[in-house]
Amino acid sequence: MTAPASTTVGHDSHNSPDAPPGHGQLAGRPTPAPTAASGPDGGAPPGAAERADWLEKLLGDPDDAHNPHGYAALLAADDRREVPAATETLLTDAGMNAEFVPHELGGRLVRPDILARVLRPVFRRDVALGFGHGITSLFGASAVWAAGDEHQRRQAARVLLAGGRTPILHHELAHANAILRDEFTARSAPGGGFVLHGRKDVVINADRADAFVMYARTATSTGPRSHSVLLLDPEQLPPGGLHRLPRALTPGMRGSRFSGLMFTDCPAEADTLVGALGDGVPLALRTYQVNRCLIPGTVVAGVDSVLRFAVRAATTGRPAGAPPRRWHPVLTGVFADLLACDAMAVTALRALSLLPDSAHLLAAAVKMTMPDLLREDLEELSTVLGAHGYDRGPRYGGFQKLVRDLPVAGLGHAGTAACQAVIVPQLRTLAHRSWFRTDEPAGRLFLPSAPLPAFDYRRLTLTGSDDVLTASLIGSAERLGPLRTTGGAWAALADLAEAFVQEMRALREQCAALPDIARAALVDPRACALADRYVLVLAAAACLGVWQGQDGTDTFLSDPAWAVLALTRIGRRLGVAVPDLPDGTTQPVLEEVLARYRDRRSFDLYDTQLAG
Amino acid sequence: MDEPRISTPIHVPRPAGPWQGVHENLTRLGNAVVHTTWGEWLPAALTAPGLRRLLGRDWTRYRRIPDATVRYRFLAARLLVKYTAAAALRVEPETLDLAYRLGGRPYLRGFDQIDLSLTHTGDLMAVGLSRHGRIGVDAEPADRRMRFDLLQAQMCTPTEAAELAPLPEGEQTAQTLRLWTLKEAYTKALGQGMRLGFTEFGFGLQSGRLLAPDGSPASRGEWAFATHPALGRRYLLSVACHDTGLDAADDTSVRTMLDPGFLAAMAHEQPG
Repeated sequence: MTAPASTTVGHDSHNSPDAPPGHGQLAGRPTPAPTAASGPDGGAPPGAAERADWLEKLLGDPDDAHNPHGYAALLAADDRREVPAATETLLTDAGMNAEFVPHELGGRLVRPDILARVLRPVFRRDVALGFGHGITSLFGASAVWAAGDEHQRRQAARVLLAGGRTPILHHELAHANAILRDEFTARSAPGGGFVLHGRKDVVINADRADAFVMYARTATSTGPRSHSVLLLDPEQLPPGGLHRLPRALTPGMRGSRFSGLMFTDCPAEADTLVGALGDGVPLALRTYQVNRCLIPGTVVAGVDSVLRFAVRAATTGRPAGAPPRRWHPVLTGVFADLLACDAMAVTALRALSLLPDSAHLLAAAVKMTMPDLLREDLEELSTVLGAHGYDRGPRYGGFQKLVRDLPVAGLGHAGTAACQAVIVPQLRTLAHRSWFRTDEPAGRLFLPSAPLPAFDYRRLTLTGSDDVLTASLIGSAERLGPLRTTGGAWAALADLAEAFVQEMRALREQCAALPDIARAALVDPRACALADRYVLVLAAAACLGVWQGQDGTDTFLSDPAWAVLALTRIGRRLGVAVPDLPDGTTQPVLEEVLARYRDRRSFDLYDTQLAG
Repeated sequence: MDEPRISTPIHVPRPAGPWQGVHENLTRLGNAVVHTTWGEWLPAALTAPGLRRLLGRDWTRYRRIPDATVRYRFLAARLLVKYTAAAALRVEPETLDLAYRLGGRPYLRGFDQIDLSLTHTGDLMAVGLSRHGRIGVDAEPADRRMRFDLLQAQMCTPTEAAELAPLPEGEQTAQTLRLWTLKEAYTKALGQGMRLGFTEFGFGLQSGRLLAPDGSPASRGEWAFATHPALGRRYLLSVACHDTGLDAADDTSVRTMLDPGFLAAMAHEQPG
């Protein structure tokens, strides 16, 4: 695999640090009017923050009953089991698909953290829309970006830039659910090329795909070379080879177009092969890293909206807009969780650019922890919402919709197990070689506005086994130690950091004693529990990293209060002894929740102005 | 897809089982409920080798419970959870780490193929397992008199009150008790317990379906509920099951959960 030279993406201290190369800076330029011009560019501004803001304005006030892209319309479409057609058209016209195409192929994909940020306005309103009209095409195309030849890369780029779809046809994974179940086979044809066979019943956008990215079984044996990736143009397949099966109605993402496909001895040309024969599983592992960071990094915006519903329910009709005291722990706790989730997701997304050889660990960790944590948050928020939680109207109906959609986004147990398959075999090696040995990462890993090397799917590998995040945790704990005497939140943070370091010591001892399963088929069940504990420590490490990495421009994120609260909740999930919350810890967090609600600002690290 | 069905509770008298029914119900319906008495399980619990290892992080909590009865009940219940889960996952119980979510709901660390819930009252203890989503179980003594007139304001929606009010007293008390266990089971499935107010949601007495306070449907069939008699009608045992709709694998075994292709590829890519 060739690795193109790394370049650093344009950056300055203005609020448009993430412009793709060649687009120039936008600082000081007024925000464009919220209209979408047609064409691949759609009139989107080049800077990340500006583009997210532009999309937010384009989608408009979600609470406005007359907004065709607001909750009323989105929920009505979900109710009818339809995709929200008007909003899909809006996004297509806005050139949304260009976000999924690498910059050198004419798109706007420069860095995954920027991608997640730009997509949040969509996910804030409708997670299913974000999947169906969006990232699932990238899940497919990413194999082409990582290993496709020039012709294939241009072909996939052309499809997406024209507003087309490139869904992924997954191969079957262990403990597969409906989406991951079944797979296609591609036998080598006598005269070259392949013969495709098999069926899958639940594939998003299968009925309206412009190209399929198929992970097909090409060898009967198990092992690392059992599958290969094919890029298929349905128009190029001979008649009768591909049958489209009826729509599969799903309880979550009800409006999304899931349906089946059946290939019956369907010939495919040799040039459909992406990468080399047998590259499928390694390619899945390489490209899924991005998906694993992207899912929590976008879905967090959906839970952001539910926290907004909860604050609304808790403050409507209350004197001075103050929620009852009994809801303070829930509102502040979930807000802290959202910041923790974002801290871990953004760190992992940035690691893809900065540490392309070892980001797979963190990517698997963020996917293992965060969808689960967000689901818990929804359940916790249901107490504040009370009867509003069952309301199907536009004011609160987004809650039940997200409750239905979130498990589909996370893929449940099969999704977790796929990530465990990355982490579990490395625990022993990490314990012996990395933990308490590896150096801390560059500070820019943790600061969302800091520059990064350009991201390139072709540079992602699985060869690294250095855990820089744990190193960062240990470093943070050492630096916090002397501050313990100052008391209050600082002391609590120092104690929390130390508790996680202690947990790492215990993990090192237990993981070092695991049998070497990297080359054995048998899995020690204890390793799965150890992996679960380990990823929670990584979540804590990302939080501390982001808190410590602040450059002082954000007074709330620089304050230890949110980090104390977030780490306390992670520590309790882990079952480690956590100090009592110091007096006054929740107050600034509560004030921030209420201020962001009042001013319509997002509950994530970016603290973005929302439409409406 | 309408409401999934909930399996009938199975009596498992001792750690040695029999566990076959749990496997069958989990495979067939996606859930299983086991009940027993703590008295039946205590002898085995007290003589279990390596009790400390078996209890894991619950060991300290166990040792600190001052009241002997409470302590033994705690011990027997933990063992019931671990043995039931171990049967489903096909592993040894002492390899499992029973952890707790923020709201107190127990779960199996590292194994999200199974959600679980525990209840105990009097001498009954019961565990519910599900591979489709959240599960909550709650039991009450069947002869517990729950007076509708006293509890109405605390636990009934207007729709429920309108259904319960005209019933004859005996039936009314029985239905109030059933409703209580259903509400407990549902809020336990959500991991929230009584933090979610019992008047914020309700059930149709006839339909057994989850309803908003105004009587409109509160779910689209994701939830299923059932109430069973247990230990010869001495207890009422309610179960709430959520189905995420992912159509999870039948297989819940730990041995098969890590994808062999991914494991092989990771081993291949990683330097020695």
